[in-house]
Amino acid sequence: MAKSIEQLMELIDVIPDEPAKVGEFILPELMAVASAHEVRNDDIVFAGTGLPMVGIMTANYTTAPKAMLIYESGVCDGKTMHVPMSVCDHRAANQCSTIGGLVDTFGFFLQSGFVTLGFLGGASIDKYGGVNVTSIGDYYKPNHRFTGSGGNGDIGTMAKRVVYIILQEKRRFLERNDYTTTPGWWCWDFKTNEWKPKREVWKNTPFAECGPAAVVTNMGVYRFDDKGEIYLESFFPGVTVEQVKENCGFDLNVKNVKGETPTPTYKELFVLREFVDPELIFLPQKMEYPKEIQAIIDKG
Amino acid sequence: MPRIRGKTKTAEILTLEDAVKKHMKNGIQIAFSGFTGMNRNPFAFAWEIVRQGFKDLHSIDRHGSCCTWLLNAVNALKIQETDWLGWGEMAGKIDLNMERNYKAGKMIIEDYAHGAMAFRFLAGAVGAPFMPYYAPLGSDLYNPKYDALGRAGLRDGKNPKIAKKKFLQMEDPFWGDGEVVLLPAARPNLAVLHVLQVGDKGTARWRGVGTIDKEIAFAADEVVVVAEEIVPEGELRKYPETNQVAYFTVDTIVECPWGAFPSAVPFCYDYDVPFLRSMDAASRNETDLKKWLDEWVFGPKNWEDFIVKLGTKRLIDLKADSVTGYSTRLLRGKKPAPRMKMALSVARSGY
Repeated sequence: MAKSIEQLMELIDVIPDEPAKVGEFILPELMAVASAHEVRNDDIVFAGTGLPMVGIMTANYTTAPKAMLIYESGVCDGKTMHVPMSVCDHRAANQCSTIGGLVDTFGFFLQSGFVTLGFLGGASIDKYGGVNVTSIGDYYKPNHRFTGSGGNGDIGTMAKRVVYIILQEKRRFLERNDYTTTPGWWCWDFKTNEWKPKREVWKNTPFAECGPAAVVTNMGVYRFDDKGEIYLESFFPGVTVEQVKENCGFDLNVKNVKGETPTPTYKELFVLREFVDPELIFLPQKMEYPKEIQAIIDKG
Repeated sequence: MPRIRGKTKTAEILTLEDAVKKHMKNGIQIAFSGFTGMNRNPFAFAWEIVRQGFKDLHSIDRHGSCCTWLLNAVNALKIQETDWLGWGEMAGKIDLNMERNYKAGKMIIEDYAHGAMAFRFLAGAVGAPFMPYYAPLGSDLYNPKYDALGRAGLRDGKNPKIAKKKFLQMEDPFWGDGEVVLLPAARPNLAVLHVLQVGDKGTARWRGVGTIDKEIAFAADEVVVVAEEIVPEGELRKYPETNQVAYFTVDTIVECPWGAFPSAVPFCYDYDVPFLRSMDAASRNETDLKKWLDEWVFGPKNWEDFIVKLGTKRLIDLKADSVTGYSTRLLRGKKPAPRMKMALSVARSGY
């Protein structure tokens, strides 16, 4: 018998918080949970559409229940029941504290310095965490034209910590982007044609110390060193460091690798599958639970 | 030059056809309400623009939407000045009509960032010539090489709606808070807003996110409010704190039920994911697109006919729940939505 949502809710504290084994989850679940681990309980989070939204919702339901969510269309601290398909989806506004518009979110919240964590996607990234969401090839005659900044440029430069979720391919991890929509720790100075530290470009502004903190890809999790350069921190189960290096367009620093990325726990998978995206909007499919977990659900 | 308004506007109630006839001209600068293709797009108005065949338009906005998708489908946009060129988010991210026109050199795209665009409209709304904003310093958005309107020679001051500069970067002269970017006010010819209710004098109300709709109403020279219903002005004055648009900015009122379809009007109806996906699929090649336009734009006798064509089942599925403001009957993903009564995060956070 299918359980009602209320019955499933009761089970959250019963499902074991133990790491699942390889083969019991799919890659998008691993990526969502790995990004959810970047959220702290006291964060004020500004999230973009897609996997970032799934990640933050998962965190909100597990490790960071008090983390506050801002959606750029004007929502302050939405308590979402059904996963929004867009930041302007009224599902994002459920039980929110205040509702306004872009001037509220980008002005009152972001530019006035309240946002501690930005959660974004990107088409390509440079070794200093600069992101391109605008175009590939010549700007005026692009091979691919993407959506353009949206909130990426604003959130990516003015949130205290920024986490990007990006697919890893050689052509997406670059020495320098074709077009930098959102600069990372170093900005390309188009007057002198050289890299300049963000701390210098943004000197005396309140945002000189704001910037990329982590990158989650389909192969691993990255962080940034004191110089603002990206390095591999952990790799996903089944992936080798060599494979990661091969899928990177520059000489990647792998000296600080800690090991494998922790796998999602059964509780996290349960929350993700039953509450965050039971409609299968972002997740391509619903995996079966291992027998012992299914037994707990059936019994509950 | 800042506008000095000589007299209070008196809003006129018109049909959709007449409102488009009254306000539209080839080549004007226009802004639409809502956010992306999913929330309060004045789609019926854009639909009527296409039916009446207006061309060479300059859309100035903070998003792509169902409206820009449709205008791009017939190549009616000459300039799209925005910060986000997608339209349907998860149901169709890139506007393929736009991409096709852009690659063929039929249109100009000018890029900004979301907050930057919001601040440009804020400047327009409060009558300021420009507004300072930090983000994103060091981005190619503020690379002089990528000033598309400047490159096309359109920043020569001849078009009163195009600023002479895309931006100006300067040191904060007051507090010493580093470099800031000055952004020119956005002052479109026409703003078109889709709202839940409008009073018969023009006071307008929506529920849910406001995006920058209040700002565009005050920034534009002319304002059309398209509403799900027109109500007596006095009704809206019972709870004035829930109204957003002041009646003296409004030129024309149009009553047009389901006029934001396929986007949502919170507390009225939801966005239609299958329909958005079908639009995206149609834009994948020109034959399908023509067929789609013939069927959905040029086929129906009027907007009511368009809605009737959708069928009752679809309208029932889209009807918003009075508690949540959206619908849980519509299939958005591969499985139906659970009928949750309380957000799990509310239950868990202890609020």
